[in-house]
Amino acid sequence: MEYIFIIIYSITLVYFSLAERVSKYVLLLSLQGLLLFSILFVTLIDIEIFDFLFILTETIVVKALILPWFMNKVRRQNQLKRENDTSVPVFYSIIIVVLCLLVSFLLSSKLQNTQIHTKYFTVAFSSVIFGIYFIIIHKNIFSHVVGYLIIENGIFLVSLSLGNKMPMMVNLAVLLDVLMGVLVLGIFVNRIGNTFESVEVGHLTQLKD
Amino acid sequence: MVVAAIFIPGIISKTKSKVAGRKMPPVLQPFFDVLRLFKKGAVYSKTSSFIYQLAPVVYISSVIMALFLIPVGRLNALFSFQGDFVLFAYLIATGRFMMIIAAMDQGSSFEGMGANREALYAMLAEPAFFITIATLALFTGITSFESLFTHLNIEFNFSYVIGVASIYVLINTVMIENSRMPVDDPKTHLELTMIHEVMVLDNSGFDLGLINIASWLKFSIYGTLISNFIISLLLPLHFQIILYLIIQIVFAITVGLLESFRARNKMEKNPQWIIMLSAIAIVGFLSALIISQKIILN
Repeated sequence: MEYIFIIIYSITLVYFSLAERVSKYVLLLSLQGLLLFSILFVTLIDIEIFDFLFILTETIVVKALILPWFMNKVRRQNQLKRENDTSVPVFYSIIIVVLCLLVSFLLSSKLQNTQIHTKYFTVAFSSVIFGIYFIIIHKNIFSHVVGYLIIENGIFLVSLSLGNKMPMMVNLAVLLDVLMGVLVLGIFVNRIGNTFESVEVGHLTQLKD
Repeated sequence: MVVAAIFIPGIISKTKSKVAGRKMPPVLQPFFDVLRLFKKGAVYSKTSSFIYQLAPVVYISSVIMALFLIPVGRLNALFSFQGDFVLFAYLIATGRFMMIIAAMDQGSSFEGMGANREALYAMLAEPAFFITIATLALFTGITSFESLFTHLNIEFNFSYVIGVASIYVLINTVMIENSRMPVDDPKTHLELTMIHEVMVLDNSGFDLGLINIASWLKFSIYGTLISNFIISLLLPLHFQIILYLIIQIVFAITVGLLESFRARNKMEKNPQWIIMLSAIAIVGFLSALIISQKIILN
């Protein structure tokens, strides 16, 4: 059953490389949050009920509701419409996404380790790599934060694949990271938008002097 | 051969259900168009050689040979052997290759431009088809069209998920192969935006009729492949044939709806869209690897 969610998760990764509009990125992020919630629901059935409820609600509320709402607010304030200039054309980045998936597949089948749940590890690792690639090719600060959130989703899945329980610490750490990243985004984008009237990272080099 | 006799009327009603959004020309209209084209003589330009006269005949004969490899429901194909889907794909590619060469043989730059684009899109769409068939072959362990669908229907119950993905990829491959929306608009004759039409711009008369018939046959072939997913083999033969015709008609209507609700992609976005299809096919293949447990994941 969880295979279907994993497959849809990898399709969202491929779709990230194809999409060009910023609102689609936010939509895909909320879809990924929903998928993580479903994966959790199906997988973690044998831990204490309070922990389980806490993790579930925290995942669905933060990843699928609060974050996309906040990002949408920022997007509307700065009127970001479309992401036109990536350093690599979309054609090649689709190929690279598929390569990421294949590499993580091969890696997880070479590591004959029984401690890792490889069905989650594959997608998680490819998500981390693709998040890094996403940050590299896009030149917009907003897209950098989107890539950062993709990496966070990947790390979440890695922590799921490394054991049966979901320790509180990992969860709280991820939550804190996300909060920090998004708060920084909000503050920065507002200030930069006021000062420079654009959110291109290339223009930030003017801050040097 | 029952199969081929059923194809041709199915094809014709297919082509015209497509444009039924606007007003409905009679269902057999393309059939009459082709008859009219057959009566006319063909005009050959002086700068073209024998390739130009040979190409449409090779095109339609390769499509007819590819037709012989496809089974319908419980009826077997005329020829079948292990790995015949490779022959199928390359027969269709041979036909397209002859058309591309003939277009370049014309000596006009329009046809060269269209041939260029058509070659690119065909090259990008080829992995999608192969990987889809490879996914099905992975499930059933059989590499011939003939028993592929029989075993697929019987054994696995994950085959619905794979079936939906494969049907999606196959429908989009049909749109690409026959140069329909969103890859190419068959109605536009603006110079910079034609892709397939410009290859056949100077063909006339009998040749153009042959090319039209070949395009219908290709639609019908892919429709048969799709209907093979859906027809269960437990029904008696008459029901299978009726269900097959119904599925072809539904396929034609679907293609018509898909075509009328989309505009053509921007030219730069076409390669992206096509390779997106191959990416989806690869993801489906990886998921088939997981599901059929060829790669053990715990």
